Amino acid sequence: MGEQRESMEVDVLIVGGGPSGLATAYHLKQAAKRHDEAIEKAGVGKKVGELSIAVIEKASEVGAHMMSGAVMDPVGINELMPDWLERGAPIESPVKKEVVYHLTEKGGFKLPLVPPPLQNHGNYVISLSKFIRWLGPIVEGEGVDIFCGFPGTEVLYDGNRVIGVRTGDKGIGPDGSKRSNYEPGIDLMAKVTVFAEGVRGNLAKPMIKKLGLDAGKNIMSYETGVKEVFEVPEGQIEPGFLMHTSGYPSRKDATGGSWLYGMQNNLVSVGWVVYLDYRDPLLEPHTEYQKFKNHPIVKKMLEGGKPVFYGAKALASGGYYAMPRLSFDGGLLVGEDGGFLNNKRLKGIHLAFKSGMMAAETIIEALEKGDVTRETLANYEKRFERSWAGKELYGSRNFTAAMSKGFPFPAAIHLAAQEATGGRGLIDPLPVAHTDAHALASLTEYYNDANAMPERPKYDGKWMLDKVSDVYISGTIHEEQQPPHLKIGNADICQQCWVKFRSPCNRFCPADVYEMALVNEQTKERAMQIRFSNCVHCKTCDIKCPFDNITWTPPEGGGGPNYTVQ
Amino acid sequence: MKIIVILKQVPDSETKIKVKGDGSGIETDGIKYVISPYDEYAVEEALKLKEKAGGDSTVTVVSAGPDRTVESIRTALAMGADAAVHVNDPALEGADSLGVARALAKAIQDNGFDIIFAGKQGIDQDNSQVPSAVAELLDIPQVNIIAKFEITEDKSKATVSRRIEGGEETIETSLPALFGCEKGLNEPRYASLPGIMKAKKKPVKTVDLAGLGLDAGEVGAAGSHVKILKWIPLPERQAGKILQGMETAEASKELVRLLREEAKVI
Ligand SMILES: Cc1cc2nc3c(=O)[nH]c(=O)nc-3n(C[C@H](O)[C@H](O)[C@H](O)COP(=O)(O)OP(=O)(O)OC[C@H]3O[C@@H](n4cnc5c(N)ncnc54)[C@H](O)[C@@H]3O)c2cc1C
Ligand code: SF4
Ligand code: SF4
Repeated sequence: MGEQRESMEVDVLIVGGGPSGLATAYHLKQAAKRHDEAIEKAGVGKKVGELSIAVIEKASEVGAHMMSGAVMDPVGINELMPDWLERGAPIESPVKKEVVYHLTEKGGFKLPLVPPPLQNHGNYVISLSKFIRWLGPIVEGEGVDIFCGFPGTEVLYDGNRVIGVRTGDKGIGPDGSKRSNYEPGIDLMAKVTVFAEGVRGNLAKPMIKKLGLDAGKNIMSYETGVKEVFEVPEGQIEPGFLMHTSGYPSRKDATGGSWLYGMQNNLVSVGWVVYLDYRDPLLEPHTEYQKFKNHPIVKKMLEGGKPVFYGAKALASGGYYAMPRLSFDGGLLVGEDGGFLNNKRLKGIHLAFKSGMMAAETIIEALEKGDVTRETLANYEKRFERSWAGKELYGSRNFTAAMSKGFPFPAAIHLAAQEATGGRGLIDPLPVAHTDAHALASLTEYYNDANAMPERPKYDGKWMLDKVSDVYISGTIHEEQQPPHLKIGNADICQQCWVKFRSPCNRFCPADVYEMALVNEQTKERAMQIRFSNCVHCKTCDIKCPFDNITWTPPEGGGGPNYTVQ
Repeated sequence: MKIIVILKQVPDSETKIKVKGDGSGIETDGIKYVISPYDEYAVEEALKLKEKAGGDSTVTVVSAGPDRTVESIRTALAMGADAAVHVNDPALEGADSLGVARALAKAIQDNGFDIIFAGKQGIDQDNSQVPSAVAELLDIPQVNIIAKFEITEDKSKATVSRRIEGGEETIETSLPALFGCEKGLNEPRYASLPGIMKAKKKPVKTVDLAGLGLDAGEVGAAGSHVKILKWIPLPERQAGKILQGMETAEASKELVRLLREEAKVI
């Protein structure tokens, strides 16, 4: 059946309405204006004119899929929009007080000084979902079209040149048939396509492979953050208060770290990130977070409070040496799609803004020249190397690789050497041995027991929420009448995986999506059940399945979490 | 045909509603607003009728609400409606159903109409009064909660069905008339990306009460007969209980005891 698929042409298409995507769009408009004014004055050169710019975003609203800490270094937004504070950007507070603790299982101590990478004087506590909800309409006001509820599902190529993106179909039933309200996705054709999907973009992942953008680079490493926003009694934690911790519940082979940030209205952002190169097949980021939250020091701080919002998301933490090549014919990678994240500081927002700006400037140049091949677009990489963002990422280039060698030792030795040598350390570049997916030990290797199954914590529905109750307060919702958007490659592999690893997806998914359920008491047969409507789009499963057997694809547009203050 | 859709913008059903500390209303911070789901059925039925009636038929959306309502109006336009009238007047903030119905009826009258679709109720306050009141004010027949809709070739009559206890009720009515739409009537279409682009250029007329020739003191909150005195949050949900480690017979006994003595529901 010949399908009618409409297509639409724009100058620049941006996939993803997060900080990097919106910065690209906003700066394109500003830079185009400045460029044309300059040419007007000089009387020579070529104007780029009014650019048509489209942003597609899979969330139902701009900001609804934003999930971060977050302490923002203002250096990025200061450059993008110098009067952002005067224009009423929502901030929770400037950073006022910071403490760092080292935790042991039952106790811990406060470090006398805050280590330099964690020093946050001059930074701001923000809610990224609030911030982006504020920024979205401003960008639209500049004449950018933002289409929410339209995920990009396929990259369109002409040979190896990217020429646009196809959006997802809507109205497909659970069995794959078309419902009466079926609406085919459309082909958005663009001179330049900017990929701003954040961590592990579903378009960027196959594209990086196809175009070989990761050739000669370190393997990308990831982390997963689990977070609750607590409501605490009036005055208990001031907005602008920060706490970071090291130690418990980190283990030598499962490094992690915490944050606790005071926000407005007696809300507190509390979270735990786990490095996804952990070995324990039964580790649960959600449970690690519970351990942190129940540590006596943390528990006391949050006393009388309760979790009111939830979220989880992975981070692309590999750093400088793991960044893919950022430009190619017809397109660019910005933000975490391009690996812009300083793991040493747990910060990516400022880099996302900056990458968008550098992409925008390069695109103007390319459109002026009428050359959107890599030849001109590679100037983006040059801009990056010269910029503060390039220097910042270069300075911490071996951090994540060192951490993955095992914390505190030998990581600390590498880190000390890096500290002394401006990032170079003992080996530069310090390699990463395998993808996070292949870091897992088998059950017998790890537990010496083929039937090991560590207890989960006790949930009480108030202070301790299980994953499903947490999903409820993440506002997550999907159209139920659609096929699962989590694609299992080969169901037989899951059977082997159950025996060898006890199906780690059942554990690492922070939204209780996967269950290797007992379907026959007699034969003990198990089959995978996927509660896809719980999915908070964190991408952990796409990263950590030991057989690379899961592909995360976007569900029908608009589905997913509805983050408001996360 | 001049087809009218009455549309209300409401908080998304997934939004966690928080009552303000002083009980004067709800916290609007962080609320996501959408077209009331029953009104989506109304939009879809209107669009289907337009496609069927052909010629120079138009679908006009009429909605009362503050500035943010425009977003929902644009969504309906992106689905395929042709034009909209937005009644926007601060005096309507807190007005009762009758006041809102008066404003809508006047806007519909000024626009002209052959048939009107509405949702059977707004999912925010569930009053289900506005459609009926609009029909009364316009002096036309109305059938609420329709699950099937058909129109005669000459467009003089409509046959609709309502689901009732144990069966279906079929009603024939002359037109113009107003219909309140129920789930199951149709599957609302999605706003397509080109549809959203087109919607940006479609006309939305904004009027206030004075512009409709209405007296804000009478139609607005000030003249309302019904006033909301106080909002009270629901009591917090208690954690569920799971009966474990018991034989079925024992567990059922315990369940009955709990339902009777603790939950007091049997
Ligand atoms: C737990 C955690 C804590 C963090 N804490 C901090 C902090 O304190 N300070 C700091 O500076 N940074 C922090 N970060 C990092 C920071 O949030 C990110 O680096 C930053 O948000 C990246 O911006 P981005 O625009 O690249 O991607 P994102 O913010 O992820 O935005 C991507 C957008 O694209 C959309 N999208 C994705 N795929 C598609 C598709 N195929 N089609 C359409 N739309 C799509 C998504 O829905 C999303 O809206 C933290 C991150 C995490 C996960
Ligand atoms: S999906 Fe991956 S992690 Fe889950 S059971 Fe299958 S192979 Fe194992
Ligand atoms: S299914 Fe995958 S992407 Fe969704 S919440 Fe679970 S781990 Fe995250």
